[in-house]
Amino acid sequence: MEYSPFECLKVERHGPVGWLINNRPDKLNAMSALMRDEFAQAWIELDRDPAVRVIVHTGEGRAFQTGVDVTEIATDGIGMERYREQTEKFDLHFTSWHQGVWKPVITAVNGLCAGAGFHWVADADIVIAASDAQFFDPHVSVGQVVAMEAIGLIRKMPVEAVMRMALVGRYERIGVDRAYELGMISQIVDPPERLREEAQMLAEKIAKNSPAAMAATKRALWGALEMGLTDACRAGAQELVSMWGHPDQEEGPRAFTEKRLPVWKELDSTRG
Amino acid sequence: MVVPGYQTLVVERRGPVGWLIFDRPDQGNAMNAQMLSELEVAWNELNEDPTVRAIVNTGNGRVFQTGDLDAMREHSRRTKRAELRFTAWHNHVWKPVIAAVNGVCAGGGLHFVADADVAIASSDATFVDPHVSLGQVTAYEAIGLLRKMPAETVMRMALVGRHERIATDRAYQLGMISQIVHPPDQLQDGALEVGLTDACRAGAQELVSMWGHPDQEEGPRAFAEKREPVWVVDQGVRSRA
Repeated sequence: MEYSPFECLKVERHGPVGWLINNRPDKLNAMSALMRDEFAQAWIELDRDPAVRVIVHTGEGRAFQTGVDVTEIATDGIGMERYREQTEKFDLHFTSWHQGVWKPVITAVNGLCAGAGFHWVADADIVIAASDAQFFDPHVSVGQVVAMEAIGLIRKMPVEAVMRMALVGRYERIGVDRAYELGMISQIVDPPERLREEAQMLAEKIAKNSPAAMAATKRALWGALEMGLTDACRAGAQELVSMWGHPDQEEGPRAFTEKRLPVWKELDSTRG
Repeated sequence: MVVPGYQTLVVERRGPVGWLIFDRPDQGNAMNAQMLSELEVAWNELNEDPTVRAIVNTGNGRVFQTGDLDAMREHSRRTKRAELRFTAWHNHVWKPVIAAVNGVCAGGGLHFVADADVAIASSDATFVDPHVSLGQVTAYEAIGLLRKMPAETVMRMALVGRHERIATDRAYQLGMISQIVHPPDQLQDGALEVGLTDACRAGAQELVSMWGHPDQEEGPRAFAEKREPVWVVDQGVRSRA
Protein backbone atom coordinates (compact mmCIF):
# COMPACT_ATOMS: atom_id res chain seq x y z
CA MET A 1 0.00 0.00 0.00
CA GLU A 2 1.24 3.49 -0.88
CA TYR A 3 1.16 5.95 1.98
CA SER A 4 0.48 9.65 1.53
CA PRO A 5 3.51 11.92 1.37
CA PHE A 6 4.03 13.38 4.86
CA GLU A 7 6.15 16.39 5.74
CA CYS A 8 6.42 15.99 9.52
CA LEU A 9 6.24 12.20 9.78
CA LYS A 10 7.78 9.16 8.18
CA VAL A 11 5.38 6.31 7.56
CA GLU A 12 6.92 3.01 6.55
CA ARG A 13 6.33 -0.70 6.65
CA HIS A 14 8.91 -3.33 7.50
CA GLY A 15 7.43 -6.79 7.12
CA PRO A 16 4.23 -6.95 9.17
CA VAL A 17 5.22 -3.85 11.17
CA GLY A 18 4.03 -0.35 10.32
CA TRP A 19 6.27 2.47 11.51
CA LEU A 20 5.12 5.97 12.36
CA ILE A 21 8.15 8.18 12.99
CA ASN A 22 8.01 11.74 14.28
CA ASN A 23 10.22 13.64 11.84
CA ARG A 24 10.90 17.17 12.98
CA PRO A 25 14.17 16.41 14.76
CA ASP A 26 15.45 20.02 14.67
CA LYS A 27 12.27 21.04 16.57
CA LEU A 28 12.61 18.09 19.00
CA ASN A 29 9.58 16.65 17.19
CA ALA A 30 7.28 19.32 18.58
CA MET A 31 3.81 19.15 17.08
CA SER A 32 2.92 21.88 14.60
CA ALA A 33 -0.59 22.29 13.23
CA LEU A 34 0.51 20.43 10.10
CA MET A 35 2.02 17.56 12.08
CA ARG A 36 -1.17 17.31 14.08
CA ASP A 37 -3.20 16.87 10.90
CA GLU A 38 -0.69 14.38 9.54
CA PHE A 39 -0.98 12.21 12.65
CA ALA A 40 -4.71 11.84 12.09
CA GLN A 41 -4.10 10.67 8.54
CA ALA A 42 -1.10 8.44 9.27
CA TRP A 43 -2.85 6.39 11.96
CA ILE A 44 -5.77 5.73 9.64
CA GLU A 45 -3.53 4.71 6.75
CA LEU A 46 -1.55 2.28 8.92
CA ASP A 47 -4.72 0.90 10.45
CA ARG A 48 -6.22 0.30 7.01
CA ASP A 49 -3.15 -1.31 5.46
CA PRO A 50 -3.89 -5.05 5.59
CA ALA A 51 -0.15 -5.84 5.46
CA VAL A 52 0.37 -4.03 8.79
CA ARG A 53 -0.28 -6.23 11.83
CA VAL A 54 1.40 -4.10 14.50
CA ILE A 55 2.37 -0.40 14.63
CA VAL A 56 5.51 1.09 16.20
CA HIS A 57 5.66 4.81 16.95
CA THR A 58 9.02 6.51 17.57
CA GLY A 59 10.92 9.69 16.74
CA GLU A 60 13.93 10.92 14.77
CA GLY A 61 16.75 12.62 16.61
CA ARG A 62 17.39 13.08 20.30
CA ALA A 63 13.74 13.59 21.32
CA PHE A 64 10.71 11.38 20.99
CA GLN A 65 8.25 14.23 21.26
CA THR A 66 8.15 17.46 23.22
CA GLY A 67 4.55 18.58 22.92
CA VAL A 68 3.06 21.40 20.94
CA ASP A 69 5.31 23.60 18.81
CA VAL A 70 5.60 26.54 21.19
CA THR A 71 7.38 28.72 18.62
CA GLU A 72 4.48 28.34 16.20
CA ILE A 73 1.98 29.06 18.99
CA ALA A 74 3.90 32.21 19.95
CA THR A 75 4.37 33.57 16.43
CA ASP A 76 1.49 32.55 14.16
CA GLY A 77 -0.95 35.12 15.55
CA ILE A 78 -3.51 32.44 16.41
CA GLY A 79 -1.78 30.48 19.17
CA MET A 80 -3.67 27.87 21.13
CA GLU A 81 -6.98 29.41 20.02
CA ARG A 82 -6.57 27.36 16.85
CA TYR A 83 -7.28 24.27 18.97
CA ARG A 84 -9.96 25.70 21.28
CA GLU A 85 -13.02 24.12 19.73
CA GLN A 86 -11.63 20.61 19.28
CA THR A 87 -10.05 20.68 22.74
CA GLU A 88 -13.25 21.81 24.44
CA LYS A 89 -15.14 19.00 22.72
CA PHE A 90 -12.31 16.51 23.32
CA ASP A 91 -12.37 15.96 19.57
CA LEU A 92 -8.70 15.03 19.15
CA HIS A 93 -7.17 12.92 16.40
CA PHE A 94 -3.46 12.61 16.94
CA THR A 95 -3.05 9.33 18.88
CA SER A 96 -3.99 5.76 18.00
CA TRP A 97 -6.58 5.77 20.78
CA HIS A 98 -8.17 8.96 19.41
CA GLN A 99 -8.32 7.32 15.99
CA GLY A 100 -9.81 3.99 17.10
CA VAL A 101 -6.82 1.90 15.99
CA TRP A 102 -7.40 -1.68 17.17
CA LYS A 103 -4.11 -3.04 15.94
CA PRO A 104 -1.47 -3.33 18.67
CA VAL A 105 0.54 -0.11 19.08
CA ILE A 106 4.03 0.07 20.58
CA THR A 107 5.50 3.43 21.52
CA ALA A 108 9.31 3.31 21.41
CA VAL A 109 10.56 6.37 23.29
CA ASN A 110 13.88 7.33 21.74
CA GLY A 111 14.93 10.22 23.95
CA LEU A 112 13.20 13.15 25.54
CA CYS A 113 9.47 12.77 26.10
CA ALA A 114 8.00 15.97 27.45
CA GLY A 115 4.56 17.45 28.00
CA ALA A 116 2.11 16.43 25.32
CA GLY A 117 4.58 13.71 24.32
CA PHE A 118 2.91 11.72 27.09
CA HIS A 119 -0.21 11.41 24.93
CA TRP A 120 1.56 8.64 23.02
CA VAL A 121 2.80 6.96 26.19
CA ALA A 122 -0.67 7.03 27.72
CA ASP A 123 -2.47 5.94 24.55
CA ALA A 124 -0.18 3.11 23.39
CA ASP A 125 -0.71 -0.51 24.35
CA ILE A 126 2.97 -1.14 25.00
CA VAL A 127 5.74 1.33 25.79
CA ILE A 128 9.46 0.66 25.61
CA ALA A 129 12.30 3.18 25.86
CA ALA A 130 15.95 3.68 25.00
CA SER A 131 18.16 3.72 28.09
CA ASP A 132 18.84 7.46 27.69
CA ALA A 133 15.16 8.45 27.46
CA GLN A 134 13.78 10.93 30.00
CA PHE A 135 10.28 11.94 30.93
CA PHE A 136 8.96 15.21 32.28
CA ASP A 137 5.85 17.31 32.03
CA PRO A 138 6.55 21.08 31.90
CA HIS A 139 2.97 22.27 31.34
CA VAL A 140 2.52 24.08 34.65
CA SER A 141 5.97 25.65 34.39
CA VAL A 142 4.84 27.51 31.27
CA GLY A 143 1.38 28.41 32.54
CA GLN A 144 -0.42 25.50 30.88
CA VAL A 145 -2.72 22.87 32.33
CA VAL A 146 -1.97 19.19 31.92
CA ALA A 147 -5.08 17.10 31.45
CA MET A 148 -5.72 14.31 28.93
CA GLU A 149 -2.30 12.72 28.84
CA ALA A 150 -1.94 12.60 32.64
CA ILE A 151 -5.52 11.39 33.00
CA GLY A 152 -4.69 8.48 30.71
CA LEU A 153 -1.53 7.67 32.65
CA ILE A 154 -3.36 7.76 35.99
CA ARG A 155 -5.41 4.78 34.82
CA LYS A 156 -2.34 2.82 33.93
CA MET A 157 0.34 3.37 36.57
CA PRO A 158 0.82 4.52 40.14
CA VAL A 159 -0.93 7.87 40.47
CA GLU A 160 1.47 9.66 42.78
CA ALA A 161 4.23 9.66 40.18
CA VAL A 162 1.88 11.17 37.59
CA MET A 163 0.71 13.88 39.99
CA ARG A 164 4.28 14.70 40.94
CA MET A 165 5.34 15.06 37.31
CA ALA A 166 2.27 17.19 36.58
CA LEU A 167 2.95 19.55 39.49
CA VAL A 168 6.75 19.69 39.58
CA GLY A 169 6.77 20.57 35.90
CA ARG A 170 10.10 21.19 34.26
CA TYR A 171 12.13 21.03 37.47
CA GLU A 172 12.44 17.23 37.59
CA ARG A 173 12.83 14.40 35.14
CA ILE A 174 12.07 10.70 35.44
CA GLY A 175 14.67 8.32 34.07
CA VAL A 176 13.99 4.98 32.47
CA ASP A 177 14.85 2.95 35.56
CA ARG A 178 12.08 4.59 37.57
CA ALA A 179 9.68 4.47 34.60
CA TYR A 180 10.34 0.73 34.38
CA GLU A 181 9.92 0.19 38.11
CA LEU A 182 6.57 1.98 38.01
CA GLY A 183 5.33 -0.05 35.06
CA MET A 184 5.07 3.03 32.83
CA ILE A 185 7.34 1.18 30.39
CA SER A 186 8.01 -2.54 30.14
CA GLN A 187 11.44 -2.61 28.54
CA ILE A 188 14.64 -0.56 28.59
CA VAL A 189 16.81 -0.89 25.49
CA ASP A 190 20.53 -0.51 26.02
CA PRO A 191 22.49 0.63 24.13
CA PRO A 192 19.92 3.20 22.94
CA GLU A 193 20.88 2.69 19.29
CA ARG A 194 19.25 -0.73 19.40
CA LEU A 195 15.80 0.71 20.16
CA ARG A 196 14.32 0.29 16.68
CA GLU A 197 15.76 -3.18 16.27
CA GLU A 198 14.25 -4.29 19.59
CA ALA A 199 10.93 -2.64 18.77
CA GLN A 200 10.81 -4.44 15.43
CA MET A 201 11.56 -7.78 17.15
CA LEU A 202 8.84 -7.22 19.75
CA ALA A 203 6.39 -6.18 17.05
CA GLU A 204 7.18 -9.28 14.99
CA LYS A 205 6.42 -11.50 17.99
CA ILE A 206 3.08 -9.78 18.38
CA ALA A 207 2.44 -10.09 14.65
CA LYS A 208 2.40 -13.88 15.09
CA ASN A 209 -0.84 -13.64 17.08
CA SER A 210 -4.39 -13.63 15.75
CA PRO A 211 -5.22 -10.12 14.48
CA ALA A 212 -8.93 -10.58 15.18
CA ALA A 213 -8.34 -11.86 18.70
CA MET A 214 -5.95 -9.00 19.45
CA ALA A 215 -8.44 -6.41 18.19
CA ALA A 216 -11.19 -7.85 20.41
CA THR A 217 -8.77 -8.03 23.36
CA LYS A 218 -7.84 -4.38 22.87
CA ARG A 219 -11.49 -3.36 22.81
CA ALA A 220 -12.12 -5.34 26.01
CA LEU A 221 -9.13 -3.89 27.88
CA TRP A 222 -9.37 -0.27 26.75
CA GLY A 223 -13.11 -0.45 27.36
CA ALA A 224 -12.37 -1.67 30.87
CA LEU A 225 -10.46 1.52 31.63
CA GLU A 226 -13.76 3.38 31.19
CA MET A 227 -15.93 1.21 33.46
CA GLY A 228 -16.49 -0.43 36.82
CA LEU A 229 -15.16 -3.96 37.24
CA THR A 230 -18.39 -5.91 36.83
CA ASP A 231 -19.58 -3.81 33.89
CA ALA A 232 -16.17 -4.16 32.28
CA CYS A 233 -16.33 -7.95 32.63
CA ARG A 234 -19.81 -8.01 31.09
CA ALA A 235 -18.66 -5.93 28.13
CA GLY A 236 -15.46 -7.98 27.91
CA ALA A 237 -17.55 -11.15 27.76
CA GLN A 238 -19.18 -9.88 24.58
CA GLU A 239 -15.75 -9.31 23.00
CA LEU A 240 -14.63 -12.77 24.15
CA VAL A 241 -17.64 -14.55 22.74
CA SER A 242 -17.42 -12.52 19.52
CA MET A 243 -14.49 -14.72 18.45
CA TRP A 244 -16.41 -17.98 18.85
CA GLY A 245 -16.94 -19.46 15.42
CA HIS A 246 -14.15 -17.31 13.95
CA PRO A 247 -11.72 -19.47 11.90
CA ASP A 248 -8.75 -18.30 14.04
CA GLN A 249 -10.24 -20.14 17.01
CA GLU A 250 -9.86 -23.44 15.18
CA GLU A 251 -6.57 -22.55 13.53
CA GLY A 252 -4.76 -21.51 16.73
CA PRO A 253 -5.02 -24.81 18.63
CA ARG A 254 -4.57 -26.82 15.39
CA ALA A 255 -1.30 -25.04 14.53
CA PHE A 256 -0.16 -25.53 18.13
CA THR A 257 -0.70 -29.29 18.04
CA GLU A 258 0.85 -29.52 14.56
CA LYS A 259 3.85 -27.48 15.78
CA ARG A 260 3.61 -24.88 13.02
CA LEU A 261 2.88 -21.17 12.78
CA PRO A 262 -0.82 -20.40 12.56
CA VAL A 263 -2.26 -18.91 9.38
CA TRP A 264 -4.64 -16.22 10.60
CA LYS A 265 -7.54 -14.66 8.81
CA GLU A 266 -6.80 -11.11 7.69
CA LEU A 267 -8.35 -8.43 9.83
CA ASP A 268 -11.30 -6.83 8.09
CA SER A 269 -9.73 -3.64 6.82
CA THR A 270 -13.01 -1.75 7.06
CA ARG A 271 -12.38 -0.25 10.44
CA GLY A 272 -14.90 -0.99 13.16
CA MET B 1 -21.05 -31.17 56.32
CA VAL B 2 -21.11 -33.47 53.33
CA VAL B 3 -17.81 -33.34 51.51
CA PRO B 4 -18.32 -34.33 47.92
CA GLY B 5 -15.71 -36.49 46.25
CA TYR B 6 -13.68 -34.07 44.17
CA GLN B 7 -12.04 -35.49 41.04
CA THR B 8 -10.11 -32.44 39.86
CA LEU B 9 -9.39 -30.64 43.14
CA VAL B 10 -8.03 -31.38 46.58
CA VAL B 11 -9.97 -29.53 49.27
CA GLU B 12 -8.67 -29.74 52.80
CA ARG B 13 -8.23 -27.93 56.12
CA ARG B 14 -4.98 -27.19 57.89
CA GLY B 15 -5.86 -25.45 61.12
CA PRO B 16 -7.90 -22.33 60.31
CA VAL B 17 -6.80 -22.38 56.68
CA GLY B 18 -8.84 -23.98 53.94
CA TRP B 19 -6.85 -25.23 50.96
CA LEU B 20 -8.22 -25.38 47.46
CA ILE B 21 -5.70 -27.18 45.28
CA PHE B 22 -5.93 -27.74 41.53
CA ASP B 23 -5.29 -31.44 40.99
CA ARG B 24 -4.90 -32.26 37.33
CA PRO B 25 -1.09 -32.11 37.28
CA ASP B 26 -0.80 -34.21 34.14
CA GLN B 27 -2.94 -31.68 32.24
CA GLY B 28 -1.17 -28.60 33.60
CA ASN B 29 -4.09 -28.25 36.03
CA ALA B 30 -6.15 -26.93 33.11
CA MET B 31 -9.82 -26.42 33.81
CA ASN B 32 -12.20 -28.86 32.18
CA ALA B 33 -15.96 -28.70 32.60
CA GLN B 34 -15.69 -30.99 35.62
CA MET B 35 -13.23 -28.67 37.34
CA LEU B 36 -15.36 -25.61 36.61
CA SER B 37 -18.27 -27.29 38.36
CA GLU B 38 -16.15 -28.50 41.27
CA LEU B 39 -14.61 -25.07 41.81
CA GLU B 40 -18.03 -23.55 42.45
CA VAL B 41 -18.78 -26.27 45.01
CA ALA B 42 -15.36 -26.00 46.68
CA TRP B 43 -15.33 -22.21 47.07
CA ASN B 44 -18.76 -22.33 48.64
CA GLU B 45 -17.86 -25.25 50.88
CA LEU B 46 -14.83 -23.40 52.27
CA ASN B 47 -16.68 -20.10 52.48
CA GLU B 48 -19.46 -21.65 54.52
CA ASP B 49 -17.23 -23.72 56.80
CA PRO B 50 -16.96 -21.77 60.07
CA THR B 51 -13.63 -23.37 60.93
CA VAL B 52 -12.06 -21.87 57.80
CA ARG B 53 -10.77 -18.33 58.35
CA ALA B 54 -8.70 -17.91 55.20
CA ILE B 55 -8.36 -19.83 51.96
CA VAL B 56 -5.22 -20.70 50.05
CA ASN B 57 -5.50 -21.59 46.38
CA THR B 58 -2.60 -23.44 44.75
CA GLY B 59 -1.85 -26.30 42.38
CA ASN B 60 -0.37 -29.78 42.58
CA GLY B 61 2.62 -30.50 40.40
CA ARG B 62 4.91 -28.12 38.56
CA VAL B 63 2.17 -25.90 37.22
CA PHE B 64 -0.33 -23.60 38.96
CA GLN B 65 -3.08 -23.39 36.38
CA THR B 66 -3.13 -23.15 32.59
CA GLY B 67 -6.65 -22.10 31.79
CA ASP B 68 -9.68 -23.31 30.08
CA LEU B 69 -9.34 -23.75 26.33
CA ASP B 70 -12.53 -25.73 25.87
CA ALA B 71 -14.19 -25.57 29.25
CA MET B 72 -15.42 -21.99 28.91
CA ARG B 73 -17.24 -22.87 25.71
CA GLU B 74 -18.95 -25.77 27.43
CA HIS B 75 -20.16 -23.22 29.94
CA SER B 76 -20.92 -20.83 27.11
CA ARG B 77 -24.12 -19.32 28.45
CA ARG B 78 -22.38 -18.36 31.68
CA THR B 79 -19.42 -16.95 29.80
CA LYS B 80 -21.64 -14.82 27.58
CA ARG B 81 -23.59 -13.46 30.50
CA ALA B 82 -20.51 -12.92 32.65
CA GLU B 83 -21.96 -15.36 35.16
CA LEU B 84 -18.82 -17.33 35.81
CA ARG B 85 -18.55 -19.30 39.04
CA PHE B 86 -15.01 -20.62 39.26
CA THR B 87 -13.09 -17.99 41.25
CA ALA B 88 -13.54 -16.73 44.79
CA TRP B 89 -14.74 -13.38 43.48
CA HIS B 90 -17.31 -15.03 41.19
CA ASN B 91 -18.63 -16.93 44.21
CA HIS B 92 -18.70 -13.92 46.56
CA VAL B 93 -16.20 -15.41 48.97
CA TRP B 94 -15.55 -12.75 51.60
CA LYS B 95 -12.94 -14.66 53.50
CA PRO B 96 -9.36 -13.73 52.66
CA VAL B 97 -8.14 -15.65 49.62
CA ILE B 98 -4.48 -16.18 48.88
CA ALA B 99 -3.33 -17.38 45.47
CA ALA B 100 -0.08 -19.30 45.95
CA VAL B 101 1.30 -19.62 42.43
CA ASN B 102 3.45 -22.74 42.40
CA GLY B 103 4.68 -22.72 38.81
CA VAL B 104 3.43 -21.67 35.37
CA CYS B 105 0.32 -19.53 35.51
CA ALA B 106 -1.02 -19.26 31.97
CA GLY B 107 -4.07 -17.71 30.33
CA GLY B 108 -7.18 -18.49 32.34
CA GLY B 109 -4.91 -19.24 35.30
CA LEU B 110 -4.63 -15.48 35.65
CA HIS B 111 -8.28 -15.43 36.77
CA PHE B 112 -7.12 -16.82 40.10
CA VAL B 113 -4.43 -14.17 40.50
CA ALA B 114 -6.75 -11.33 39.51
CA ASP B 115 -9.54 -12.49 41.78
CA ALA B 116 -7.50 -13.32 44.88
CA ASP B 117 -6.94 -10.85 47.71
CA VAL B 118 -3.28 -11.76 48.13
CA ALA B 119 -0.99 -13.35 45.58
CA ILE B 120 2.37 -14.96 46.34
CA ALA B 121 4.53 -17.15 44.14
CA SER B 122 7.34 -19.65 44.27
CA SER B 123 10.56 -18.25 42.84
CA ASP B 124 10.28 -20.45 39.73
CA ALA B 125 6.74 -19.33 38.85
CA THR B 126 6.07 -17.58 35.53
CA PHE B 127 3.12 -15.70 34.11
CA VAL B 128 2.03 -15.79 30.48
CA ASP B 129 -1.20 -15.10 28.63
CA PRO B 130 -1.28 -17.10 25.38
CA HIS B 131 -4.91 -16.37 24.44
CA VAL B 132 -4.25 -14.30 21.31
CA SER B 133 -1.61 -16.80 20.13
CA LEU B 134 -4.38 -19.39 19.98
CA GLY B 135 -6.98 -17.16 18.38
CA GLN B 136 -8.69 -16.46 21.71
CA VAL B 137 -9.66 -13.18 23.33
CA THR B 138 -8.38 -12.17 26.77
CA ALA B 139 -11.06 -10.47 28.83
CA TYR B 140 -12.03 -11.05 32.47
CA GLU B 141 -8.66 -11.97 33.90
CA ALA B 142 -6.82 -9.09 32.27
CA ILE B 143 -9.63 -6.67 33.10
CA GLY B 144 -9.30 -7.66 36.74
CA LEU B 145 -5.52 -7.26 36.67
CA LEU B 146 -5.79 -3.81 35.03
CA ARG B 147 -7.42 -2.57 38.23
CA LYS B 148 -4.69 -3.91 40.43
CA MET B 149 -1.34 -3.28 38.77
CA PRO B 150 0.23 -1.11 36.09
CA ALA B 151 -1.86 -1.52 32.96
CA GLU B 152 0.91 -1.43 30.37
CA THR B 153 2.25 -4.77 31.54
CA VAL B 154 -1.20 -6.34 31.43
CA MET B 155 -1.72 -5.10 27.89
CA ARG B 156 1.73 -6.28 26.86
CA MET B 157 1.03 -9.76 28.25
CA ALA B 158 -2.35 -9.81 26.52
CA LEU B 159 -0.96 -8.80 23.11
CA VAL B 160 2.41 -10.59 23.08
CA GLY B 161 0.70 -13.84 23.98
CA ARG B 162 2.78 -16.95 24.33
CA HIS B 163 5.94 -15.30 23.03
CA GLU B 164 6.97 -13.81 26.40
CA ARG B 165 6.73 -14.70 30.07
CA ILE B 166 6.89 -12.59 33.20
CA ALA B 167 9.09 -13.90 36.00
CA THR B 168 8.44 -13.45 39.70
CA ASP B 169 10.97 -10.62 40.16
CA ARG B 170 9.07 -8.42 37.72
CA ALA B 171 5.69 -9.55 39.05
CA TYR B 172 6.84 -8.56 42.54
CA GLN B 173 8.23 -5.21 41.40
CA LEU B 174 4.92 -4.34 39.72
CA GLY B 175 2.86 -5.38 42.73
CA MET B 176 1.20 -8.27 40.92
CA ILE B 177 2.42 -10.49 43.77
CA SER B 178 3.54 -9.48 47.25
CA GLN B 179 5.94 -12.28 48.15
CA ILE B 180 8.42 -14.56 46.39
CA VAL B 181 9.02 -17.84 48.17
CA HIS B 182 12.45 -19.38 47.75
CA PRO B 183 13.22 -22.22 47.53
CA PRO B 184 10.02 -22.99 45.62
CA ASP B 185 9.14 -26.06 47.66
CA GLN B 186 8.51 -23.85 50.70
CA LEU B 187 5.59 -22.12 49.00
CA GLN B 188 2.91 -23.89 50.98
CA ASP B 189 4.58 -22.89 54.27
CA GLY B 190 4.86 -19.30 53.09
CA ALA B 191 1.21 -19.28 52.11
CA LEU B 192 0.20 -20.52 55.53
CA GLU B 193 2.08 -17.74 57.28
CA VAL B 194 0.61 -15.03 55.06
CA GLY B 195 -2.77 -16.66 55.54
CA LEU B 196 -2.82 -16.27 59.30
CA THR B 197 -1.56 -12.70 59.30
CA ASP B 198 -3.93 -11.68 56.57
CA ALA B 199 -6.85 -13.40 58.25
CA CYS B 200 -6.28 -11.22 61.33
CA ARG B 201 -6.05 -8.03 59.29
CA ALA B 202 -9.07 -8.75 57.16
CA GLY B 203 -11.03 -9.89 60.19
CA ALA B 204 -10.33 -6.51 61.76
CA GLN B 205 -11.60 -4.74 58.64
CA GLU B 206 -14.83 -6.68 58.77
CA LEU B 207 -15.33 -5.84 62.42
CA VAL B 208 -14.96 -2.14 61.78
CA SER B 209 -17.73 -2.34 59.23
CA MET B 210 -20.02 -4.22 61.62
CA TRP B 211 -20.61 -1.95 64.58
CA GLY B 212 -22.91 -3.65 67.06
CA HIS B 213 -21.72 -7.14 66.18
CA PRO B 214 -21.11 -9.20 69.36
CA ASP B 215 -17.51 -9.75 68.32
CA GLN B 216 -16.93 -6.05 68.91
CA GLU B 217 -17.65 -6.56 72.60
CA GLU B 218 -15.91 -9.89 72.82
CA GLY B 219 -12.65 -8.71 71.31
CA PRO B 220 -11.78 -6.00 73.82
CA ARG B 221 -13.14 -8.13 76.68
CA ALA B 222 -10.96 -11.08 75.75
CA PHE B 223 -8.01 -8.75 75.36
CA ALA B 224 -8.58 -7.27 78.79
CA GLU B 225 -9.03 -10.72 80.28
CA LYS B 226 -5.88 -11.95 78.52
CA ARG B 227 -7.62 -14.86 76.85
CA GLU B 228 -8.38 -15.94 73.27
CA PRO B 229 -11.60 -14.38 72.01
CA VAL B 230 -14.59 -16.57 71.21
CA TRP B 231 -16.01 -15.21 68.00
CA VAL B 232 -19.51 -15.50 66.67
CA VAL B 233 -19.02 -17.13 63.33
CA ASP B 234 -21.64 -16.44 60.75
CA GLN B 235 -22.44 -19.59 58.89
CA GLY B 236 -23.35 -19.43 55.27
CA VAL B 237 -23.56 -15.66 55.13
CA ARG B 238 -22.65 -14.87 51.57
CA SER B 239 -24.62 -11.76 50.80
CA ARG B 240 -22.81 -9.18 48.72
CA ALA B 241 -21.62 -6.24 50.74
